[in-house]
This record gives sequence, structure tokens and C-alpha cells, in this order.
Amino acid sequence: MATILDLHSHSEASEDSRAPLEAYLNWIKLRHHERPVDGIVLTEHRQFNAGADYRALEDKFGLMVLKASEVETDYGHVLVFGVTGEMTRRFDFANVRLSAQELIDEVARMGGLAVPCHPGRPNVGLCEHYGAKPPLNNVVAVEVLNGGSRKGEDARSMELVRRYGYRAVGGSDSHLVSLIALCATRFEAEVRSIDGLVRELKEGKYEPVDFRPKRKPVPAAVPDEVSHNGG
Amino acid sequence: MMKFDAVKIGDTLGPQEIYLSKDQVRTYARTCGMDVPRFTDDAAARAEGLPGMIAPGNMSLGMLSRLVTDWIGSSGARLARLGTTYRQPVQPDHTITLNGFVTHVEPAEKRVDIDVWIENEDAERLVIGTASVEFP
Amino acid sequence: MAVDYDPGLIGKVFEITDPVGVSAEDIRKFCAAMGETNPLYTDEAAAKKGPYGTIVAPPSYAVTFRNGRHFFTHVPRYGRAGLDAGKDIEFHAPLRPGDKVTLSSHVKEIYEKTGRSGSMVFVVVRSTVQNQKGEVVAHIDHRFMNRP
Repeated sequence: MATILDLHSHSEASEDSRAPLEAYLNWIKLRHHERPVDGIVLTEHRQFNAGADYRALEDKFGLMVLKASEVETDYGHVLVFGVTGEMTRRFDFANVRLSAQELIDEVARMGGLAVPCHPGRPNVGLCEHYGAKPPLNNVVAVEVLNGGSRKGEDARSMELVRRYGYRAVGGSDSHLVSLIALCATRFEAEVRSIDGLVRELKEGKYEPVDFRPKRKPVPAAVPDEVSHNGG
Repeated sequence: MMKFDAVKIGDTLGPQEIYLSKDQVRTYARTCGMDVPRFTDDAAARAEGLPGMIAPGNMSLGMLSRLVTDWIGSSGARLARLGTTYRQPVQPDHTITLNGFVTHVEPAEKRVDIDVWIENEDAERLVIGTASVEFP
Repeated sequence: MAVDYDPGLIGKVFEITDPVGVSAEDIRKFCAAMGETNPLYTDEAAAKKGPYGTIVAPPSYAVTFRNGRHFFTHVPRYGRAGLDAGKDIEFHAPLRPGDKVTLSSHVKEIYEKTGRSGSMVFVVVRSTVQNQKGEVVAHIDHRFMNRP
């Protein structure tokens, strides 16, 4: 049975998000016909809450809530799946200058997977760093579909994937309730836990899926009658 | 008149499409004591590394606040909280769209939580935020 | 790796402004600049019948007291000047014509992160806006982004 998960989301535990987890789950339930995900992965910025237990909410909404983290490295931002106590002792997740190579290798050694996110984004994505530094070793997958991307950023990510043969995932990178699960990843196999997710990311079959509604075009041109010479 | 009991999660505010002119931005900046070059002059803004003159964050906040107070109308409810994050400069001489969705309804406090944002023609969200409205 | 700052700064009020007046004309000009048409803010007769019995300022007027030419003094800076990164406002009482408000401000938080434009240090300044009766009009958290 296939499983669809939004692999990248921020609840109000992240300093720049104002979305309560329960409101996310409620919203998914309400919009399930257009965003048919089985659950979300909370990837709070620069932290991991080992003690948080979302079982009651999972049961209430019939949705999976898995925990991961988004950390900051010398090659940009990286999602860490399968976080363990050993990892949070080994790395200070609040440090915004972690070594990406060390993180990727150590996380893998400890049984998790580090997935660089929004590689097409300036400064905090892989693409720009690959222009100036040698490519990283042992990258398995990167996020090519990110709900917060600007025009052209996801296309740059796709180019990177084609060039280096990385596997591709998607996530909403939502910081607002109504933007949850607009981008996600479809796994061929059933995923029921964070360990299962890490295993599928390493060995399974999956692809990014885009649930964003097609938008009616807004006129970009300046109408003549209101044009101003800005000087 | 809108009543609290009729508000549902998923209700929309807007969308309002607004063509934002340079003169509107300059007028806001001058009125609010923000007439510094980046809000009034393209060349000066470019010299600061910006794409051209931009709207003040406070003006974007004002537009999102207005989206909510327009929705409130004469219902007697009030804007109790508004938070904004400026992710990308809002540039005049463009059409921006203001969007809002009711995301939570709290009957005990007669409070409604709302997502709001401003996006550009490429559907890039320039300013995102949340608001809370309290009903009498 | 934390940002280097004096922890004594946090929570300490660094500025209390002199009273700033809000006149009916100020509100009218603000509404005109915002393209505001809501009768509660623009129509004296309609506003009289409204919840406040008078015209009040649109809520976002509350953020105009400390910006541009009236910027904070003594906000800690890191490298290039602080850009407005966002605000969080709790609104308590409306601003009415004739009000005189004071702002009392302290640094709430300082933290670092990285984004599209590079490394950033965020300084959060919390201001409490009070009117002449001592009522809290609003609490405003200003998030300033500095590029070291």
C-alpha cells in the first residue's frame, strides 16, 4: 500500500511558524480530497523534541505525525530523519554552521538519513555551494519540490538531481496552517514509523507529488493608465 | 452581518487583487514618516542592493490588517492579534494578491484564527502572517 | 553556537518615548494613504453608532510610532543595519483622536539563523504602546534582521 507524506513542515515550535499542529491536522482532514496525505513530518528548525508524543492527535485525526529536524550547515539546510539521542549529543542542532559532510556521514552511521532541502535556494541550498566547493559524498536524496520555493528554484534542484543521480523528495515547508501538505512524497511501500520512513528513503521507491492548485494567471504587465515613471 | 456561529474553518478572506502603484507607496511612506530612499526612489533602492523601490513592511502589514477588518465589517468583532513575516520585498508597479483563510474557530473564546498572505504574480508568497479575531 | 551579546540587555527597558499625539487629521491622512474605506475609521456619523462611539484609527496605525525617521535608539546591531523582518502585535485598546501615546521598549530575544540572503542575526524588540490613561493599546514585537 502506498503512503503519501509531507516530509517538510514547521509547527509553532519553530520560531518563524505560527501553525499549531492540531490546526494542521484539522486542515488536512478538511482538504483531504485535494491533499490526500497519510501524514506529515515535523521538521522544526534547529531542534528536536525527543519527548514530544503526538499519539493522541494521530488517533483523533487518523493521520501520522513523525518527527525530524531541519538543521543548518556549510552546504545549506538539511532535513535529518531518524534523529537519535546519539545524534543530538554528537551535533549541536542549534549551530547554524554544522559541517554537512560530517552530518551526512554520522547520521547515516547512526541509522538515520540527512536529506538536503531546497537545493535550488540561494545561499541555503546545495546548488550554490556546489558552484564553489566540491560536491558532498553519500547524498542519497534531496528535496526537489518545496512549497516555499521561488520561481526557478525547484527547476535548479531538478537539474542537480539529474546531474548527480540523487533521488528526489517533496515537502510543503509549510509555516502556515493552510499551506500544509501542498507538496509531499509518495512512497510505493507502506510507511508507518520514522524507522520505516528512513528505510524507504534509503532503499524504497518514491517520488515527489504536487497538490498545489493550478492558479489563474494574474496580469504581470503594468497597465498603461496607471504606469508611473519611478525615476 | 457576520455572526461568530456562522464562521467555519476554510472560509476565505479575499482574494483581493491590488495593483500597487509607486505613488501609493510613496504616499504611505511620507504619511508615516518612512520616506527613506528605499521606499521612494528606484535608483536609491538599487544602490542598497534592492530590485527597485519597495513597499515598507508596515504597509504590507496595513494591507493584511485591512483584509481582516474588511472581513470583520460591521459585525462588532475586533482584530486582537496580527503577526507578519516579510519574506521577500513587495515591489510597486506589480499586481499583488491578498489571501486569507480561517484555520481555527475557538468557541470558548469566540475567537477565530486566520492565515493571511500577500503573493505576487508568480504565486510567490512575499509576506505571510496570522491574525486572530475576537467576536462579541 | 550562540550569538555574542550581553544577556543583561534582555528584558531591560531601553527607551520610553515622549508622548506622541494622535489627531483626527493624522487618522484621516493615514486612512487616505492606506486606501481605507471602512466607516469605523473614516465616517464620523457611522462610527458614532459603532462599538467605540467615535472614529478610531485602523489597527495598523499602532506600528507607525517607531519606524523610518523615528527609529529606535540603542537597539543592538550586528553588522549591516537592521531590516524589518516582521511584527507580532497584540491589540488591546483602539487609538482614538486626541490620544497621546508613549512607547516603552525592551529587547526580548536575540538569535541567529541562515537564509537566502546569508547569515542573519534577529533582534526582537518588544514595545508596549500605552495611551494617556495608562491603558495598553498594543504590545508590538518588532523583529529586526541584521546581516553580520
